[in-house]
Amino acid sequence: MRRIRHAFFSVILIIFALATLTKPAARAQDNDYFMYVGTYTGFKYVHHSRPFGKGEAKSKGIYVSRFHAASGELTPPELAAEIINPSFLTISPDHKYLYAISEDPLSLGPPLDHSSYVSAFAIDHSTGKLRFLNRVPSSGTSTCFVSIDKTGKYVMMANFGSGSVSVVRVRDDGSLGELTSFIQDVGHSVDRGIQMEPHTHSILVSPDNKYAIVSDLGIDKVLIFNFDDKTGKLSPPDPHFATVYPGGGPRHFTFDPAGKFGYQLSEMSGIVDVFAWDPSQGTLTTVQRAHTTPHDFFGSSHSAEIEIHPNGKYLYESNRRTKSETERAPDSIGVFAIDSKAGTLTPVQESPTGGVMPRNFKIDPTGEYLLSGNELSNNVVIFKIDTRTGKLTNTGREIAVDTPVCIQFVPVQP
Amino acid sequence: MKPIRSLAVLAFSVVLSAACARSATSSSGEYFVYFGTYTGFTYMKEGLPAGTSHSKGIYVSRFQPATGVVSTPEVAAEIVNPAFLAVHPNHKFLYVATEDPLSLGPDFDHESFVSAFAIDPNNGQLRLLNTLPTGGTSTCYLSIDKTGRYVMMANFGSSSVTVLRIKDDGSLGEQAAFMKHIGHGRDPSFQSQAHPHSIDVSPDNKYAIVSDLGVDKVFVYKFDAATGALSPDEAPSVEMEEGGGPRHFVFDARGKFGYSLKEMSGFVTVLAWDPANGTLSNIQDARTLEPNFVGGSDSAEIAIHPNGKFLYESNRRFRGPDLWGPDTIGVFAIDPEKGTLSAVEQVAPGGTMPRNFAIDPTGSYLFSGNEYSGNVALFRINGDTGKLTPTKTDLKIDAPVSIVFVPAEK
Repeated sequence: MRRIRHAFFSVILIIFALATLTKPAARAQDNDYFMYVGTYTGFKYVHHSRPFGKGEAKSKGIYVSRFHAASGELTPPELAAEIINPSFLTISPDHKYLYAISEDPLSLGPPLDHSSYVSAFAIDHSTGKLRFLNRVPSSGTSTCFVSIDKTGKYVMMANFGSGSVSVVRVRDDGSLGELTSFIQDVGHSVDRGIQMEPHTHSILVSPDNKYAIVSDLGIDKVLIFNFDDKTGKLSPPDPHFATVYPGGGPRHFTFDPAGKFGYQLSEMSGIVDVFAWDPSQGTLTTVQRAHTTPHDFFGSSHSAEIEIHPNGKYLYESNRRTKSETERAPDSIGVFAIDSKAGTLTPVQESPTGGVMPRNFKIDPTGEYLLSGNELSNNVVIFKIDTRTGKLTNTGREIAVDTPVCIQFVPVQP
Repeated sequence: MKPIRSLAVLAFSVVLSAACARSATSSSGEYFVYFGTYTGFTYMKEGLPAGTSHSKGIYVSRFQPATGVVSTPEVAAEIVNPAFLAVHPNHKFLYVATEDPLSLGPDFDHESFVSAFAIDPNNGQLRLLNTLPTGGTSTCYLSIDKTGRYVMMANFGSSSVTVLRIKDDGSLGEQAAFMKHIGHGRDPSFQSQAHPHSIDVSPDNKYAIVSDLGVDKVFVYKFDAATGALSPDEAPSVEMEEGGGPRHFVFDARGKFGYSLKEMSGFVTVLAWDPANGTLSNIQDARTLEPNFVGGSDSAEIAIHPNGKFLYESNRRFRGPDLWGPDTIGVFAIDPEKGTLSAVEQVAPGGTMPRNFAIDPTGSYLFSGNEYSGNVALFRINGDTGKLTPTKTDLKIDAPVSIVFVPAEK
């Protein structure tokens, strides 16, 4: 009986899939996405956590391109909203709103900055343009990351400069309300340059929306806060945490699609720490310490972004390597296969990025393409993903955007 | 025509003030006195909390300025570490900084909070409206702008100042401004980073004055009462003596002069205030310590008498490790033309560690909050000489560190 029912459902699914594929008029629209690109408007790029090449960026704010997933093509970017230093973006779960941080108007770098902001925009689904709703302070400096909780009621920010995280309420109209939580990290780690004080680099909720994971580059900790989505509050102020190899510098974190494992990318060491995630206890337990740099590499990894393919089988992470103060090593996007049982990583490929300084990249929602944002070469490059092997192939197609440092997709059909 | 119109305005003003006076008589001439406390510890030592406190939160007494009678303090609201209080200009709401629930001290604290309370005009009890994060740590000071639409906070631990909007119902809304201070001063322990200690608007509500103990500067931000924003990021400032540690600041009654009290040096710097340009210029560095005193001043609070003639400042002096005192409240006469200070007297505060004191709105009495001895001592003020005379009134309150007045109804 059971097998028959399964077979029946499979047939229905196949018919449905075929119907979707052959639906002529709607097809293009269905597979179209707005691709938003956040940029630095005030300077060219960040080197040793300080802005470099001040005043050279020609960017005016957030740009939008149409991404046609069926062909993997991007339209030329247009300015979606004028805003200062929108270095990180997040999209509301209902795809109606975009939230952008302004990483310090003066852009003087972490120890010298005074204020950062977060802005709310409504997305115009006919044009992709952004309509400004309001702006509030992020309650920190050199704010470098923003995410939104699963309910869409709270945006969360990591304030790299002042070493804190803050949570702000989203009102019913998408605009930003009061600060609901503020936590200052304390401590330091072994690196005498960048780890003299806390430097929160990212914050995002667990799949069940009950925890918030904070990566602190300055203290080599991955902090696990309880998150209350009724009040927007993080607790306790001194939560339990997982650690990475001293001097590693935790930057970005991602859960696997099944919510069983957590992957922590460390900026300086380039190591990806694989953790088993226990959602009932809110604990991360070390499973593997995976190296992303080749064994014969000497220098700094400057790893930046980490993402898992929607099929859950492959992990991607970007590296802005340097051999010395002056000598840049080949930048790369590392591809790793994920063991479906153990969560562990095995290297698949080290791909070029199609440019210089891949601070950010994004896999499109269909999982067919990876778009690499190269901050220093001012281009977003389209890679085809082989979904059976995880491997990347440069399509040879790219668009020009000044200092692209964050990419987010929104379906054109809301 | 012009004189007639002026006359009409004058007549109208007289009627209006008569009406106001009548409505004022429906109040009792009495005041509620609110006492903020530390609930988690009794005092700070080496920048860390020490001792124990049995306080439960904010206390309230009824006070008759005509007789000096103060009722026994009662709990007005249970709350953690209400270290600083501010009253809304409409006297309906009270705002309170919770200086970090864990009370671990500046370098270890994670969060502070600000709470809005509605004041019951009959019994002085406080009803909680809401509580929000201050956006900083070891928040030690808060004040309200002249419009009553913004509350401003100094976050000592995390080196920032923040402004929150006040909604029409008195509850707290979104953050309107955040400014991080950077730099350091001479003292390796307390000045290794910036430490904003107070923030107050100018009399015309167009500027916000921030005393930063860590960088020895008093900053003058522009304040936009339409948005609550502070600007610019790098605000102009006036430099104080190295290692002085600016803590609290007051304007004189006419808004011509500013007085900056320095915690470590005990100096009061007298500054000419130019409201047109928003600038402070140094007139006098007035010494509050006796010339033969050797030790630290730990000066805390500064206030000017409502008659504008006298300035008061408190000192929690020490002469070496564990050699406390003598604590004093210094009284100074203000030159009405030049704004300069001349010493009148230094009196014992009726307890130990006078972190805070307050002069009642009629100018008749001074309440000295003695943090370490756990008492509030009442002094009679001579309005002609400025001198303080101790009274027998002595209120037992654990770790009293902030005192404010609200007119009471009958």
